[in-house]
Amino acid sequence: MAVATATAPPARRVGLGGITGSPLALKVVVGLLVLALAVPLLHNGYYENLFRGILMFSAMALGWNLIGGYTGYVSFGNVVFFGLGAYTSATLASHGIENVWVAVPLAIVVAAMFAVALGVPILRLKGHYFGIATLGIALAVQEIVANVDALGGGTGVTLHQAAWYSQYYYAMWLVCAGSLLVTWFIARSKFGYALVAIRENEDAAAVLGVNATYFKVAAWAISGMMAAAAGAVFAFSTGFIDPPSAFSVDNNVFPIVMVLLGGIGTVAGPVVGAILLTAINETLWSHFPQIHTLFFGAVIVIVVLFLPRGLLYLQNARGGLRGMIDSLSAYRV
Amino acid sequence: MSFLEIRGVGMRFGGLQALDDVSFRVERGSVVGLIGPNGSGKTTLMNVISGVYKPTAGSVTFADKTIANVPTHQVCRLGIARTFQIVKPFASLTVRENVAVGAMYGRDGAKRTTAQAFDHASELLEIVSLARVADRPASDLTIPDRKRLEVAKALALDPDVLLLDEVMAGLNASEVDEALALLRSLSERGVTLIVVEHLMKAIMAVSTTIVVLAEGKKIAEGAPLEVTQSRAVIEAYLGARYVKRQEAARAVADARAAEGAR
Repeated sequence: MAVATATAPPARRVGLGGITGSPLALKVVVGLLVLALAVPLLHNGYYENLFRGILMFSAMALGWNLIGGYTGYVSFGNVVFFGLGAYTSATLASHGIENVWVAVPLAIVVAAMFAVALGVPILRLKGHYFGIATLGIALAVQEIVANVDALGGGTGVTLHQAAWYSQYYYAMWLVCAGSLLVTWFIARSKFGYALVAIRENEDAAAVLGVNATYFKVAAWAISGMMAAAAGAVFAFSTGFIDPPSAFSVDNNVFPIVMVLLGGIGTVAGPVVGAILLTAINETLWSHFPQIHTLFFGAVIVIVVLFLPRGLLYLQNARGGLRGMIDSLSAYRV
Repeated sequence: MSFLEIRGVGMRFGGLQALDDVSFRVERGSVVGLIGPNGSGKTTLMNVISGVYKPTAGSVTFADKTIANVPTHQVCRLGIARTFQIVKPFASLTVRENVAVGAMYGRDGAKRTTAQAFDHASELLEIVSLARVADRPASDLTIPDRKRLEVAKALALDPDVLLLDEVMAGLNASEVDEALALLRSLSERGVTLIVVEHLMKAIMAVSTTIVVLAEGKKIAEGAPLEVTQSRAVIEAYLGARYVKRQEAARAVADARAAEGAR
């Protein structure tokens, strides 16, 4: 006798740490990160630069993911923190303190203060308005820096690099690993659930006792600290910064695309996105030097159309091939 | 000092007087049914009591505190929780996670670890019979289940007073019975309830006191039976002409009965 039992399988594995995303992807990312420690041992300048770039973008993407992915406040101005971090290093260097290990903690403090001071007013804005305000801040700060002579003005600042150049690689590694660790802790904590609740419905979150202003400002500040730390190391590793390089559009847009490509609102997604996008960019650059930005634009469009929430969601029960087909039909492609 | 007091509450949205001088008291442990025709200000009053709106006149005091002076996110820590008529689940979180957020940040939230919040959420899902879908995303739920989820989220705040805004709308007869049983069991556990509902049968069965609103004004207050026989209430629901016709019909019937008796 067949008895129909209504046992619907759970749609996804959850419980503790339900908002961390795929545990497998996280393990792979941690494994890759450990392997990345060995890169300077190859004594190959190209690889060291390439991987330091991936680590830098990973940290920035992890930072953007906290405010844009977890909290749902899409920022178009996180590069401002990167620039502030870079200029913290530059200012220290021009005062004779050419030490990346001093610059990084200081950049983190500067970013936190900046985020709290500006976050309280602008995080009252929602949706597109918040995005536009952050873009405005990024452009304004770049202009201000370009006009302050003490910061090198429009001509920029040269930083003298230490003899042991690989220390900048390891500093960037620490910034990336630290950002990943912080994100992981947040996604497993009450703090992470407050951020997701704000993203899903801010009014409902407030009624459940979530102090939205506090958590939004905190998320933005931590997001900024990650970008600022990356910027502080970047200034030393490139040896020269000016406003266009510190506040570049690439550094603003790449982290966002990386998060979207890898998996928005997951711990490992931003790093996966940073690795993939850098790989795509390098390949296109070396094969199609003239028109690589065209292909790059196409990649962005494809990602947004077919994987609007990122590669890691392919593992999801509602992702996969069916998800892709759903996505296709939803966009009437 | 009374438990929860609504004193002369007025709420004006531009040219619309949504609430006008509404006053009543809610005693600890009571079940207050809040009824009235569409647009009479029931949900607005719920929003004022839960601190979502600040009243333009009067005040709501609970445990000696004026709700309007308390930030929205702290109202639940005083012991007031609510559900939304238009349900607001956190769509991408699972049902259990939805409830756990309340257990983390509600009244006793600070004392709970993340794991304890999840355990508490699981217990509450048993109470509202959602345990079977605990690990599904909230976006998968049917409307009746979303209403249950709203109740579970509110209960996760460990409230003294629970405001329920049309949690039975759209439920079928047997689901309404289940919901009523749930309300009774909450009331027995000492939770004071303020219930907005259109289903008269349901609200009459569960309420100890009924407050009737019409066009933003309180037109009646009392025990369920008393209220349904009030002329003002029948007028508000069925119109003054209906009441007059009924009265005329009754007068004619009385006259005929008197004639018949003679």
